[in-house]
Amino acid sequence: MILRSLLVAGAAEACEPPRLEPSTRIEGKQHVLLFRGVPSPPPLNAAFAVEIAVCARNGASVAAPRVDAWMPAHRHGMNYRPSVVAKSPGSFRAEGLLLHMPGRWELVFEVGGERLTAAHVLD
Amino acid sequence: MRPIVVLLALLLAPLAATAELLDFSAAERTQIARHGPWPPPFTPDPSNRVSGKPEAIALGRTLFFETRLSPDRRFSCASCHDPALGWSEARARSQGRTSLDRNTPSLLDIRLRRWFGWDGGHDNLWAMSLRPILDPRELASTPSAVATLLRDDATLSACYARAFGRNAAGVDDDALSIDAAKALAAFQETIGSARTPFDDFRDALERGDREAASRLPVAAQRGIRLFVGKGNCTFCHLGSAFTNDEFHSIGIPFFTASGVDGGRHAGIRTLRTSRHTLLGPWNDNPDLAPGTATRHVEPQHRNFGEFRVPGLRDVARTAPYMHDGSLATLREVVRHYSDFDPERLHSDGEAILAPLKLGDTEIDDLVAFLDALSPTSPGPDASAGPRCE
Repeated sequence: MILRSLLVAGAAEACEPPRLEPSTRIEGKQHVLLFRGVPSPPPLNAAFAVEIAVCARNGASVAAPRVDAWMPAHRHGMNYRPSVVAKSPGSFRAEGLLLHMPGRWELVFEVGGERLTAAHVLD
Repeated sequence: MRPIVVLLALLLAPLAATAELLDFSAAERTQIARHGPWPPPFTPDPSNRVSGKPEAIALGRTLFFETRLSPDRRFSCASCHDPALGWSEARARSQGRTSLDRNTPSLLDIRLRRWFGWDGGHDNLWAMSLRPILDPRELASTPSAVATLLRDDATLSACYARAFGRNAAGVDDDALSIDAAKALAAFQETIGSARTPFDDFRDALERGDREAASRLPVAAQRGIRLFVGKGNCTFCHLGSAFTNDEFHSIGIPFFTASGVDGGRHAGIRTLRTSRHTLLGPWNDNPDLAPGTATRHVEPQHRNFGEFRVPGLRDVARTAPYMHDGSLATLREVVRHYSDFDPERLHSDGEAILAPLKLGDTEIDDLVAFLDALSPTSPGPDASAGPRCE
C-alpha cells in the first residue's frame, strides 16, 4: 500500500512534453520544457524564433510561457520583446528574438511561475 | 661593390621591418575572419519593388542631386551627403534651414542596415529617404510638391515611367512621393565602400598566406589585436560591416541647445507612429520583409542617450564622429574610449563599457587599424552612373 502511494506520487511528478526533435531539454521542479531555435542554433544579430513544448509535472494545462534572453556578464537583455503563440496544447512558438552581441546568453522561459534557463554561447 | 650591398641593405631594412606578421592565436584569427569577406553580395530589398532596377537607380541618382526637391531650390540630398566625404559632411552638426542636433550620417553601405538614422526611427531605406524631404528643417517639401515635380517635368516623368512601369499622371501624391523615395533608396543601395588593406590582410590570413598578410603595417596588426581583444570593440562593431546595427550609450552627452536628444527612445516613438514602416501599407512584399524587428522592438528606459552603432568601413573619410559630431578625429574617438567618464553612461546597470586606459602606443595602433579600414584607392563612384535624360 505504501509502495503504491509512492508510485502514484512519483507518476504525478513526471510528465512528457509534446514531441519536439531535435531539441534541448530543461528539467524544472514543476515543469519539463523542450525548445529549439529556428534556425538552429540561434544566429548572432539576426531575428530567430523558438519552438517550445512544455508540460506541468502536476498534470495541469500550461499557459503560454514568457520568453526572454539576457547576457548575465553584461547585465543586459535583448532590445526586443518576443511574442508567443500557442500552436496546440503544450506547444508554443516565440517570435522576435534577436541576440545582438557575441558572448554567453541565457534563454529564459517563465512558465507557471517557474523560471527555466538554458545557456547559449555565440562566438 | 660592397658599398652598394650596404646601401641596398640600408634601403631595404625598413621594408623588412614592416614585413612582419604578428603571431595571432587561433581565437584571434577566427575573430578577424568574421569581419569579412568584403564586399557582400547584393540582395534586393523586398520591401522596395524597384530595388536593384537600373532605371530606378538612374531616377534615384537624379533625384539625389535635384535641388527642386526643396521648394526654394536651396537643398538636395547631396547638400549634406557629400560623395567626396563618404557621403557625409565635414561640419559637426547638420545645417539645414536651421541648425540641427546631429551629425550627418554616412550613406556608405547603407543597404546593409536594419535601422536607419542615429535613432533608428525608420526600418527601411525608402522611409529614411522621404524623411528629410518632408522635414521642415531640411528640404521642407510636401508629398504634393514631390509628385508635381515627377508629373510635370518631362524628363523625370519619362524616367519614372521606365522605372515603375506606369505613368506618373495617374498616381496620387502619396504614392508618387513614396515611389520617389523608393527610387532614392534604389540609388543609395549602390553606395558601397571599397575593399581595404584590412580586407587583403583578413583574406590572406584566412588562406594562410603569411607573406601577403604581413603587408599590413605592424601597428595596424597590433590595433586589430586590441580591437578583437582588450578593447572588446567587437561586442558592438561586429561582422563584415563592423556594426551590430543596434543602439548604445557610450558616454557622449545627449543634451542639446533645445533640451535633450531622446536618441533611441525617440526613434522607437517615431517608428511606432510612422505610416512608412515595414508594418504599413507601403511595404511592397510583407511576406519577405515582415518587419519582425519592428513588431518586437521594446522601448526601455536606457534608450535615452543611446544612438546607433555606426559601421567602421571607410571611417577615416567620414569625420567628425559620434551622433553630434563632437569628436573631430579618429584619435579623439579612441581617446574617448580610453578615458571616458563611466558616470556619463546612461546604461541602467549594463556592464559592457569601461574606460580602456590605453597607452599612447595602443592609441596609435588602434588608429592605424581604423585607417586600414579605408580603401587605398577609391571604389566605383556611385554618383557617376546614368541619370535621367
